[in-house]
Amino acid sequence: MNIYTPDKVTITNIIEETPTIKTFVFKPHSSFSFKTGQFVELTYPGIGEAPFTPSSDPDKKDAFEVTIMKVGNVTELFHKAKIGDCLGMRGPYGNGYPVDSFEDKELLIVGGGVGLAPLRSLIYALYNRINDFKKIVICYGARSPQDIVYKYLLEEFKKPKNVEFRLTVDRADSSWKGNVGIVTTLLEKLPLDIKQAKGIVCGPPIMMKFASLKLLELGFSSKNIHLSMEKNMSCGLGKCGHCRLGKYYICKDGPVFIFDDIKNMWDIWD
Amino acid sequence: MTTKYLYIKNNNFIRLLDNLSADYRVYTAQETRKNYFWKKYKGSFEFSKYRTVNPLRQFFTPSVEHIDNYFSATNPKETKPFCIVGAKACDLGNALKMHDYVFLEGDIDASYKEMRDKNLIISSDCTSFKETCFCLGLGNMPYPQELFDLNISYATDGYLVEIGSKKGEETVAFNKSLFEEANNKIQKEREDNRKRTIEEFKRQVDSLEFPNESLLNGLIKNGYSDKLWAEEALKCVECGACIMNCPTCHCFLLFDTKDKNGYFKGRIWDGCQYKNFTRVAGGASALRLREYRLRNRYIKKFEFFPERIKLYACTGCGRCAESCPGKIDIRKIFKTLNENQNIVKK
Repeated sequence: MNIYTPDKVTITNIIEETPTIKTFVFKPHSSFSFKTGQFVELTYPGIGEAPFTPSSDPDKKDAFEVTIMKVGNVTELFHKAKIGDCLGMRGPYGNGYPVDSFEDKELLIVGGGVGLAPLRSLIYALYNRINDFKKIVICYGARSPQDIVYKYLLEEFKKPKNVEFRLTVDRADSSWKGNVGIVTTLLEKLPLDIKQAKGIVCGPPIMMKFASLKLLELGFSSKNIHLSMEKNMSCGLGKCGHCRLGKYYICKDGPVFIFDDIKNMWDIWD
Repeated sequence: MTTKYLYIKNNNFIRLLDNLSADYRVYTAQETRKNYFWKKYKGSFEFSKYRTVNPLRQFFTPSVEHIDNYFSATNPKETKPFCIVGAKACDLGNALKMHDYVFLEGDIDASYKEMRDKNLIISSDCTSFKETCFCLGLGNMPYPQELFDLNISYATDGYLVEIGSKKGEETVAFNKSLFEEANNKIQKEREDNRKRTIEEFKRQVDSLEFPNESLLNGLIKNGYSDKLWAEEALKCVECGACIMNCPTCHCFLLFDTKDKNGYFKGRIWDGCQYKNFTRVAGGASALRLREYRLRNRYIKKFEFFPERIKLYACTGCGRCAESCPGKIDIRKIFKTLNENQNIVKK
């Protein structure tokens, strides 16, 4: 058995989220399951691979979903793929979100842009046992109303009684009636016991940086902030060396890190 | 296994290599203008005085290789393993140990494991050294002490052979008639030669004012913001020679390709001195400046690996200094870091 061999996955549905973001539904040919926050390497056969965190409910075993933004050569090819196409997949890799440690806690989830993709999988995992958590506040920011992903799910996200969902856009258009401003502007007057609450942040590097610093400023302990770090993982197995961060490999020791463990490293936001 | 010494005459050693050629692709260190290169054995053998220009790791993880074919039933073709003759201590020791850690710990890399299991390493003592050699400065000896199958030391009209593994023992057993008992005189000859080499070599290493090996980890940890990184990085032309010639560098990039037989996953040597090593598709890159990249190389070797497996990922071969067109020299880097940090302390 070769550790670099991808398994076959077939695209069974494609959902257009925004002009540059699509969600792909994959049916794995062999049995596959993942923990929320773990990532996979998707292979465009004969062309290349890229790492993604599944955005679907980890309890659903027959299919998984990956939300992909078109940013490079490989993702552009994925965007050209059609229903029925067969791609490759390796994984899952890394450690996911420590959901059990969130039990009986108040949670703040902060997402930016396509960073809501891994968080969507976390949201499903939490909602599957929603009564285990005291309260959940979700703050999501997108660049503009048309850049909001999972528009069709937002109402569902708001349903549980112990959930508060806040939404903002950096730039509004004429039809937008909600908040305007970057995601950190949503982090005011949080109905949470900040000293005990757990924060979970995922988004582009610059957003992660300012959201995390804002949480510290609000009084969150760096031991209670969970970050979903992103690097250019190539092998996913802690061998190729690309995703090293200080003494860690993002792929093996992450991609979810506790802020306290990495806060003194010089390059975490790059 | 108890250490076992044997003696082999020059002409019998050629016979041994001829015999091994049936089962192995035999490579020896061959001299071209005072530099040794790994080349295919073609019936003659000369004892190499010091290390080759290129590292041994190419025989365990080739610079470019197809490691897997997927979505099809084509079998990769069987190839003969390598027998490498003339590997020096700086290509074994920490170099092989950390490669074993990277490729065999946790998820086992099948391609590396096969090479590691099947290749035969016949190492040899250094009887001289190059201008950039400084293994003694890292506390390493210029003769192999571990991780070889057989080691040969220069002796009158032949070589003293030390058996280092079961594979080595079997090789000797298959070729029993070629070996003789090593008498005390021959064993003494090895000790004398080793002592003489170290004495001469020590003079060169001492002149470098290389800080004690126990300090290196601390010098890097306390030297993150040293101005030296920016100054030295100005000389870097990003050719990657330091990476490609390093016996401990292990980073690689997986790539996908296809031909009429199907899809292949390949592996190509990569390294942190290249501009796009840490670049993500969105454009961000943690090591976007040459000074970050240069510093990163030292952090990986003198902080990351000691943290993980209590080993410096450096054997003191000096190949990085030898091959750098900008004359960036690891020995000077540590000397300067040491000086700068002592000034700060004072």
